[in-house]
Amino acid sequence: MPATASGGARPEEAAASASPPSPTASYCMGTRPEELTARLAAAAGGRPVGGGGGGRGGGGGGGEEEGEHERVRTLREIKNQIIGNRTKKLQYLRLGAVPVVVAALAGPGASPAALVQAAAAAGSFACGVDDGVRAVLAAGAVAHLTRLLAHPDEKVVVDASARALRMIYQSKLAPKFDVNNNEKNMEFLLTLLNSENENVTELAANIISHSCDSTTEQLALCAAGVPQRLVNHFGGSMNLRDACLDSLTAIIRNNWEVASRFALLDHGKALRSIVALIHDRSPRTRLLACLCLIALSHASPCHFQDRQIKTKLILVLLELIEEPGHVGDDAPLALTTLIKDSVELQKQALSTNAVQKLSNHLIANSLESRRAVTILLALAELCSKLEESRSQLMSVQASTLILDALKHASVDIRVAACSCIKNISRSSKVLSAGKLSCDTFIAPLVQLLYDSSMSVQVAALGAICNIAVNLTPRKSILLQSGAVSQLVHLSKSMDPTLRLKAVWALRNIMFLLNPKDKDFILKELTLSTLSSLICDSEHFVQEQTLALVHNLVDGYVNSFNYVIGEDGMILNAISRQLNNAPAPGVCIQGMFVLANVAAGGELNKEAVMNILVPRRADRVKQSFIVNFLLSKDKQLRVATLWCVLNLIYPKCEASSVRVVRLQNAGVISQVKGMINDPCLDCKVPLCSFIY
Amino acid sequence: MFLSRIVLRDLDSIDSPAASMASSKKLVTRDEWERKLRDVKIRKEDMNRLVMNFLVTEGFVDAADKFRVESGTQPDIDLATITDRMEVKRAVQSGNVQEAIEKINDLNPTILDTNPQLYFHLQQQKLIELIRAGKINEALEFAQEELAPRGEENQVFLEEIEKTVALLVFEDIKNCPYGELLDVSQRLKTASEVNAAILTSQSHEKDPKLPSLLKMLIWTQNQLDEKAAYPRINNFSTAALEDPAI
Repeated sequence: MPATASGGARPEEAAASASPPSPTASYCMGTRPEELTARLAAAAGGRPVGGGGGGRGGGGGGGEEEGEHERVRTLREIKNQIIGNRTKKLQYLRLGAVPVVVAALAGPGASPAALVQAAAAAGSFACGVDDGVRAVLAAGAVAHLTRLLAHPDEKVVVDASARALRMIYQSKLAPKFDVNNNEKNMEFLLTLLNSENENVTELAANIISHSCDSTTEQLALCAAGVPQRLVNHFGGSMNLRDACLDSLTAIIRNNWEVASRFALLDHGKALRSIVALIHDRSPRTRLLACLCLIALSHASPCHFQDRQIKTKLILVLLELIEEPGHVGDDAPLALTTLIKDSVELQKQALSTNAVQKLSNHLIANSLESRRAVTILLALAELCSKLEESRSQLMSVQASTLILDALKHASVDIRVAACSCIKNISRSSKVLSAGKLSCDTFIAPLVQLLYDSSMSVQVAALGAICNIAVNLTPRKSILLQSGAVSQLVHLSKSMDPTLRLKAVWALRNIMFLLNPKDKDFILKELTLSTLSSLICDSEHFVQEQTLALVHNLVDGYVNSFNYVIGEDGMILNAISRQLNNAPAPGVCIQGMFVLANVAAGGELNKEAVMNILVPRRADRVKQSFIVNFLLSKDKQLRVATLWCVLNLIYPKCEASSVRVVRLQNAGVISQVKGMINDPCLDCKVPLCSFIY
Repeated sequence: MFLSRIVLRDLDSIDSPAASMASSKKLVTRDEWERKLRDVKIRKEDMNRLVMNFLVTEGFVDAADKFRVESGTQPDIDLATITDRMEVKRAVQSGNVQEAIEKINDLNPTILDTNPQLYFHLQQQKLIELIRAGKINEALEFAQEELAPRGEENQVFLEEIEKTVALLVFEDIKNCPYGELLDVSQRLKTASEVNAAILTSQSHEKDPKLPSLLKMLIWTQNQLDEKAAYPRINNFSTAALEDPAI
């Protein structure tokens, strides 16, 4: 059977397809995928198909017509089976049908009817199944379909090819269309964009949305006048207008130059036409126009100072949340992007009752949708800066809902709920009211530390971090919840982010903790884990670990023993890190630890001295402490000054010996030279030093 | 929309401080009302376009064509596409679901690929038709091979499948709990979903504008009722003004 030759089907399946007794195959139209694929491959046998052709010659004129008719019917049947049907697509893929279908696009004498059916089938294979996209691309469909766009007299063929290409370019797997280094491509794209056929112009817009992701590409498209052409198409059909809005957004996104040129285009007429579209009748158009304006305002804030438009955007987006489907799902995401990092816009959103509207929508509908996720994320953003949003969200029924969301089966919803709590817990007001720091919230959060999804664990750690820092009088709730042992477990994780966040949470729990509980944590954590975390491969983990030690030795005498004891395991680790001159953050936290240790008794001070000015010091190499005093980072200078001050205070015999050692190492003269340090925080230790 | 806006603006002027201070509603006599209505000018072309929009959206292709010839109003869509759309709709209404699917795919193969819910509802309708025809074995096979995979992809679909398959359990299917699936209304529901999807794919709004104008008229009258007594329209097929009740 030619099926094996042209299809790349697995031999046993091709054989199976041949075995059923179907002597009248050409008359009785079988509809099993195996039969159809085999028949199509057989029909292709007479044509020059991608190297797989051969055997049969064409019959007489009438026979050929009959064959072509049969081919169209087979292609149409395959098309009708696979459209909308994932299972069937996969089945045909396994049978190797894609290359056979695509080959039907290549034949020079193929009838328009066959081309239309083959293009539709190829487009459908590229929709919704990644393997399908790969197969369609590998079979060379893009080149054939692109060639057919110029089909001389059959509009149906052009329409079908444009639609199929649009399906292909919807997939992330489709290759980028390079307009930057390829003049021919740019020319071709402009031809498509100028086409009379809306299916073709829509394809051009889709190609731009799909391919345009670098600054140079954006500039090249802008220079070729593409934005103006896209705006000109706003007068076309609704679908074309939507596609054009989407590709405009892609051209403008994060590109200051393109955005500001667009804002001034046609004396601002182009910009105004988009502003008008946020009130369009079609919800999808409204959303796309909002997204385009948001991209503009982010890329070029100076051309977009009209606050009224932004207020309108907020209002339109809040309304769109009520729309069914993708529009309503994506509207909260657009709102999040709009108000991100802007206190002013968050205030505006709040004044339009955004928190109320979003949480009402959550309460009225179930949590069973993507919309619940995007709404929770928008609420989280609203709570990132504004106290009022946080208390609103905590006061309404929504807090119960967030609690439910923490226990929800969907990973995305659990993550989004954690983000909400993380941002609400930035508020000391909410926390001191005890609304979050009660067992009702803590228990499910701690449970999420054991979650099977890492993104949930990371999100839960973020929330616990914030709650812990503000939980000073009630840390026992956290300690009794079993959080500590899991945090310790996570601090040994293979994943650096998990280690970082786990250590961070422990650091915050350690903050102003009573000695008994500090002992408890340290027993769980062990000194050896702590010292290996100080020497972690990632400097941000090192920094947090040192901050944790900093909080541990914060004025609590017994805890010094942990640092100095066990043969000074911890101090040795710190010493090693400081001598390697790692990231500034690590140095700062390290010096704060040393400053705190140096505030203790003689034994402590000596231990610190041995790190700063080793007795068997290599005379050639300058102590790192002098470099720290010279550092541009004022926090590092402050930490180092406090450390030196603690070493030589109070005045006694031992401290004067230390002064001499420091003097010999060049530290004292360096400190004296800093008398005019511009940093105010440095003044305090410096003044104490002088008197 | 035009009409209702003007009525509302007039209301503002009626609602003078003196009137609102009085406890009774403002009375607008029939004469006064008709005089005001006469001042409202509506362009004939706008009315014609509304009618054409209704005919096109609802798929009355012959009427639309006649109306085009008589009134000179151009439809905003190729009338030939209406014929195709109506054929699909008719196929669903008469229970020929496979025919409908094939026609939709010929019209635009991207509709069903990008609209999983519509595709599922058509498949579900196909199953319903098989059950209605008493082809039990075929129905079971179809449910297993074609519908079951959709249920695995989507929880809501799964529940729908369960309801539909439950029809097979009952002797008297017409009166079983999910008997309404066999009702004509189910076919009409699916047909109208198909109609809307095809219209959307053709960049056309899926609902005609006239019903929403009628809704707006009712809403406006309800608003107005709180503030004034006026000649109301109660019979919408004659649109006759009725004397205000005093």
